[in-house]
Amino acid sequence: MRRKILITGATSGIGLALATRLAPRHEILATGRALKKDAEKILPANAGYIRVPQSDPLVASATIREGLRDVGWTGFHNAILVAGTGYVCEAQSEDPVRLRETLDVNLAATILIARACLPLLEKTNGRLTLIGSTAARGSSHIASYCASKAGLAGFARSLRSEWRGRVSVQILHPGPVATPMHEKAGYVPGRLGALFLSPSTMAAMLEFAVARGRSPRTLSWFRYIGGESIFGRRL
Amino acid sequence: MKALVTGGSAGLGQAFVARLLADGCDVVSLDRSTADGAANLFQINCDLGDREALDRTVPAIVTAGPYDLVIFNAGVNATGRFEDIPEDVQLRLLRINTEAPMVLAAALAGSGAMVRPSKMVFVSSLSHFTGYPGAAVYAASKDAIAIYARSIRRPLLRLGISVSCVFPGPLRTDHARRHAPENADASQRMPADDAARDILSAVRAGKATVILGKQARIVALAGRIAPRLVTWQMRRFIFEKLSATTW
Repeated sequence: MRRKILITGATSGIGLALATRLAPRHEILATGRALKKDAEKILPANAGYIRVPQSDPLVASATIREGLRDVGWTGFHNAILVAGTGYVCEAQSEDPVRLRETLDVNLAATILIARACLPLLEKTNGRLTLIGSTAARGSSHIASYCASKAGLAGFARSLRSEWRGRVSVQILHPGPVATPMHEKAGYVPGRLGALFLSPSTMAAMLEFAVARGRSPRTLSWFRYIGGESIFGRRL
Repeated sequence: MKALVTGGSAGLGQAFVARLLADGCDVVSLDRSTADGAANLFQINCDLGDREALDRTVPAIVTAGPYDLVIFNAGVNATGRFEDIPEDVQLRLLRINTEAPMVLAAALAGSGAMVRPSKMVFVSSLSHFTGYPGAAVYAASKDAIAIYARSIRRPLLRLGISVSCVFPGPLRTDHARRHAPENADASQRMPADDAARDILSAVRAGKATVILGKQARIVALAGRIAPRLVTWQMRRFIFEKLSATTW
């Protein structure tokens, strides 16, 4: 079946890899912070794009609602909310501006976008996929990032129960992936970087995990070794 | 000894303030509304859901220190079906429950407003272990603050600040009564004063994780062993019985 799929944060990293992977088989509506003309250069030619910066959550959800109306989707099958940001710093010297940005982009905007998607996902008994992180268990130099991802995990657990029978809700926790986010965040992985998965490998693992629908699910290096980027049902 | 309590005008916060005053502490209470005055109580008014107001008030909070104990207690809930709760209410909840304590913790730890050694306490919820259908954004806010507390425990310990996180179950407060299903049995809930007493003694003993009472510990353990089953029970006993949307 050709699906209608919304992917946020699709102009770089995991989101872009996922959009690139799914575009040949499905109808993709991508969102990101980049200007439309820049996004169109990197996204697959048949993917739609709306510019949705998530630093203001209320604006983000309103823009998504409008964008879904403009492309004429009356219902869609999958919302995969990938967009995220983060900064590396000492907890006691964290700038409140960055702290708030991390919470707004990763947590608040994602929550409000999930809410905006409900009426259209419900029409197809669709699936909402949130992207957490293995860092949602806590880590000292990215405390706000961890908090935002843990918040998503708590949200997904409760919402999955609330929406049961209407829209299936899942959260997937990717392990480290070699994306531009680390550089933007000011993190240098060093030798450990060799163990980071490529975005396209993670996109494969994500596609299979979305098709299965289990939640929560950690997509770690061990799962990769176990063949979870090769063996799985496609969307 | 000097303590800062956020949300000190009602509920568990009020109980913290009363206990600390009785123990002979100087107490600074940060709240939207002012409570009855006391000799050693200094009250600062601030709406923690208002970013500009908080940023304006931070210097006064720092100046009123340095603190031996800080309790980030202020919190609100919003119950009902997730999609029935307005966006601005969800956003405000996240700001009060998650963002404000994080901003304040960074400001206090980074400005020398904490005595060394001192204690910093975050108040999460038992929902961290159980899930909370019927309050999905509240659950998000409390999971976020729990993991923030865990993340900063080690770096702040190096500065002489010991971080604890508390996971209270249902308390006998107006706040809990407003958000529980109708006809819920309030006698099962722990009185706020008992909770404040137990939390303070656990925090003074340096505990990183504080869960109150045997019943709550069993629930937390069950939530870890059988997360799906426990969240399903929460759905049956809370979500399916909520008759109204409340914030």
